[in-house]
Amino acid sequence: MDALTGLASGFAVALTPAHLLWAAVGVTLGTCVGVLPGIGPAMTVALLLPVTFTLAPTAAFIMFAGIYYGGMYGGSTTAILLNTPGESASVMSAVEGHLMAREGRGGAALATAAMGSFVAGTLGTMALTLSAPAVVELALRFGPPEYFALAILAFVAVSALLGASMIKGLVSLFFGLLLGVIGIDPLTGEARLTLGLPQLLDGVDVVIAAVGLFAVGEALHVGSTPGAATARIEPLRGSLWMTRDEWARSWRAWLRGTVVGFPLGALPAGGAEIPTLLSFALERRLAGRSSRFGRGAIEGVAGPEAANNAAATGTLVPLLALGLPTSATAAVLLAAFQQYGLQPGPLLFTREPQLVWGLIASLYIGNAMLLALNLPLVGLWVRLLRIPTAHLYAGILVLASTGAYSVSRSVFDVALLYIIGGAGYAMRRTGVPLAPAVIGLILGPMSEQQFRRALATSEGSLEIFLTRPIAAAFLATAALLVVGRAAAHVRRFCAR
Amino acid sequence: MRLRLACAFLVLAAPAVPAQPLLDRLVIIAPAAPGGGWDQTARAMQHALEAEGLVRTVEVHNVAGAAGTIGLAQFVSTQRGNGRTLLVSGLVMLGATLWNDSPLSLADATPIARLTGEYEVIAVPDRSPHRDMRSLLAALRARPRSVSWGGGSAGGTDHILAGLVAVSAGVDPRLVTYIAFSGGGEAVAALLGGNVAAGVSGYSEFASHIESGRLRALAISSPSRVAGIDVPTLRETGVDAELANWRAVVAPPGLTPADRDRLARLMERLARSRTWRRTLDERGWIDMFESGERFASFLEGERARIRRIVARLRGPAGTEPIRTGQRVFPLAILTGGAALVAIAFLRRSAPARRPAANLGAIGWMICGLVVFVLLLEPAGFVVAATLLYAASARGLGGRAAALAVGAIFASLVHLALTRGLGLALPGGAVWPWTR
Repeated sequence: MDALTGLASGFAVALTPAHLLWAAVGVTLGTCVGVLPGIGPAMTVALLLPVTFTLAPTAAFIMFAGIYYGGMYGGSTTAILLNTPGESASVMSAVEGHLMAREGRGGAALATAAMGSFVAGTLGTMALTLSAPAVVELALRFGPPEYFALAILAFVAVSALLGASMIKGLVSLFFGLLLGVIGIDPLTGEARLTLGLPQLLDGVDVVIAAVGLFAVGEALHVGSTPGAATARIEPLRGSLWMTRDEWARSWRAWLRGTVVGFPLGALPAGGAEIPTLLSFALERRLAGRSSRFGRGAIEGVAGPEAANNAAATGTLVPLLALGLPTSATAAVLLAAFQQYGLQPGPLLFTREPQLVWGLIASLYIGNAMLLALNLPLVGLWVRLLRIPTAHLYAGILVLASTGAYSVSRSVFDVALLYIIGGAGYAMRRTGVPLAPAVIGLILGPMSEQQFRRALATSEGSLEIFLTRPIAAAFLATAALLVVGRAAAHVRRFCAR
Repeated sequence: MRLRLACAFLVLAAPAVPAQPLLDRLVIIAPAAPGGGWDQTARAMQHALEAEGLVRTVEVHNVAGAAGTIGLAQFVSTQRGNGRTLLVSGLVMLGATLWNDSPLSLADATPIARLTGEYEVIAVPDRSPHRDMRSLLAALRARPRSVSWGGGSAGGTDHILAGLVAVSAGVDPRLVTYIAFSGGGEAVAALLGGNVAAGVSGYSEFASHIESGRLRALAISSPSRVAGIDVPTLRETGVDAELANWRAVVAPPGLTPADRDRLARLMERLARSRTWRRTLDERGWIDMFESGERFASFLEGERARIRRIVARLRGPAGTEPIRTGQRVFPLAILTGGAALVAIAFLRRSAPARRPAANLGAIGWMICGLVVFVLLLEPAGFVVAATLLYAASARGLGGRAAALAVGAIFASLVHLALTRGLGLALPGGAVWPWTR
C-alpha cells in the first residue's frame, strides 16, 4: 500500500471517537508519569500490559503510543523547574533550562520544550511515514565499530560540558565511568566491582543514578545551605510565554534537534541520550562565545528536547519495520504486539495495515493533543514553584524514592539512590559538575562493549575502525574537534 | 475484525464451567521486570487461572534482577513452607545460577511443573556464503575464531547452544567467538547487518525475518521437526545437540506433600484448560507440560548437562579481546579516577568561602531517608513515606503540619500508583486494605 493512502486509512481508524478517547487517556497518563521522577513510559506500558486481554489491539496501541509520547513531553518539566530530571534523556534540559527557571524564564523554557517536542514529534512521524524502509537499511549498517566511533564522537563533543575546571569535570566523568562498569560484564558474564552484592549484578540503573545525583542531591543541598531555601527561584519574570527573541532562537534549534535525533533514535543500539548530548553540544558550538550558554540559553533546551522526541519517534522505525525493540519502551510495545499474537517485522505493514497505519496516524493526533495539553499546563507547573520549599523538596524525595523502589521492587535500589544522592551532594559542595557523571555512565559501557565486540569480530585487529567508512568518518570528526580545541588553547596560551 | 475481538472478549469473560476454586489466593513471582518472557508467562497464568475459576485471586509480583537469581534467592529464603505461591523459572535461571556460582540453585526449590518452551534456531544472513549447517561447521572447524556468533547474554540459552554445537563439532567451545548482545533486538540487527557470521536465538525472534527471506535458518534445536517450520533439526545436520528454552514453575522448599500435590494438580488443570491452550496458540508457545516425578528427574538431568557445558565455556582462555577487556577497563577507570582525585586535591585553591553546611537540617533529612529504607517493607509504604516527608520537611525548615501533609501526600501517591497503575507497593500491617 502506498504510504499516503495508508496514512489516510489510518486517520480514518484513529479519528473514531473511541480511539480519540484512548489517545487522550494515553497522553494524559503519559504526561503524568513523565513528570514523576523514576517512573517512565516503559514501566507504565508494562504495568498496563494486562489490558491487552480485554482491549482491541488498535485501541491498546493508540493508548500506548500516547503514553510513550506523553512521557517524553512530561520528562523535562521537573528537570527545568527544579533541576531534578526524572530520566537520563532530560539531564541535558536541566543544564540550561534550570538556569532559565532561576531567571524567571521557566515558563518560556517549558513552552519551548513543549513546542520543540511537538515539532520534532510531528516531523519525526512524517519521516517515519515516508522513509522508514530507507532509514532502517542505513541503521543496519551500524555494527560494533560504528557504535564505538559514535560514542567517542559524543564523548569529544560534550567534553565542553566538563565545566570551568577541567580536573573537576574529569573527576565527575570518571565517577560515572566507574558506576558504568559495576555489574555483570555482558560479554563474558562475569561480575565486576559488585563488592559481592548480588543486587549489583545488573549494574547501576541510569535512572537511579540520574535521579540520585540531581533530585536527592539537590534536596540535600537546599536543606543544608542556609539561605538557599529562602532566596529560591523566581517563579516568573516578564511574560509567561516566549518572547519574540526566544522564538527566533528556538525554531532553528528545534529543527536541528530533529535532524540529529531521528536517525540516531532509529539506530538499534543508539538510545535517546546520545542525541540529546550531541544536540546540546551542537547548539552550544553554533551559539558562539557571546551566547547566553552558562546563564540560561533557550537553545540549550529547545535543541535537546526536540532531539529527545525525534529519537523517540525514530525508535519506532526499527520496531515497526523490522520488529526490533531498541529502547525499553519499544521492548514493552513488542511484548504487547506478541500478546495479540502479532509479530512486528517486515510483514506487519502488509498483514495488519489497519493497525500500523492507525498507530502512525494516532502519533500525529497524540502530538497535537499533547501540545494542547501541555501549553496550558505551563502556567500550572510554574505555579508549582510557589509551594513552600520544605514541602516541595519533601515531596520530591518521596516521589524519587517511590520511583527508585518501583524500578525493580527493591529496597536496595532505594538505598543506592540515597548513596548516589549523597555523592551528588558532596559534588555540589565541592563544585564538581554533575552532568559529566551521567554522560560517563551512559557512554562508558557503550564504548567499552562495542570496542570489545568490534575487536572480537576482527580477531583483534584495530584496522576495523579505519576500514569501515562510517566508523572512520566519525573518528576523523572527533579527531578534528580535539585538534581544533587544542589549537585554540595553544593560541590563547601564546597570546598571553 | 472488531467483531471477532468482541466475540473473543465475551468468551473470555464467561468461563465455561465455574468450577470450585482449588485455591483462594495465589501469588506468582515473576523474577523479571514487567514485559519480559517470565512476566508474560506469569500474567498469562494469572489470566487463565482466574478466567477458568481455578483460583479466586491471583497476584503477580515482579522481583527482577540477575537473570532471575535475585528472585530465586528471595523466594527460597522467605517463602519456606508457603503452599500458596509459585515462582516462574526456566533454563535461563538454571544457567545463571551455574554461571554465577550462585550459592542457591533450583534444587533448593520444590519442582512443580514445566509449562511451555521454545526451540532455538541457528541462522545466517541471506547473503552469507553458508547455504547449510555443514558449510558453517566446516568453517568453524577450519578456523574457529573466524566464525563470529551473535546471540543473547553470555551464559544464556543462546550461548549454551553455541557451546553445545561447538563441542559436537569437535571444537573447543572456548575458542568460539561468541558475541553477546543485550536484548533480542540488538542481536537480530547485528545479524541482519552482517556484523556477525551466524546468529543463535529463540525461533520467534528470528521468525519474521526467516519468513521474509532476509535470514536463512540452518537448523533448529528441537528433537524432531516442528510442525509448520521447514527447518532441519540439528541432529539431521549431523550435530548431536538439542536444547529447549523451557519455562516452569517451582514452589518454595519445605512444603507438605498435600500442598505440593495441590499445586501440581492446579498446574495440570491449568495446562488442560481452554483459556491456557488458546493463549499458547496465540503466542506461539510450545506446550511442554510435564509435572511430578517426571519433571523433577528432567530438571536433575538438565542441571547435570548444563553444568558440564558451562564449565567448558567458562574456562580461563576464551576470545582474547573479550577476556582481556574484562579486567583492563575497570582497572584503567579505577587508576585514572584515583589519579584525578589526587590531582584535584593537591591543586585545590584556598578553601572557598562558602556557607557552612546546616548540619541539623542534613541530620533530619538523613534520618528520614534511613527510616524510609528500614520501614518500607516492614511497616508499609504509607507509613515510611509519611515519616520521610515529615523528617525532610522538618529539615528544610517546614512547620509542624508536615506530618499531616505528609500522610495525605503519601496516601495519594500510594492510591494513584497501586490503583491507577497497578504497581505493587508494600502495604504493611497498618495499611492492609490497600492490597
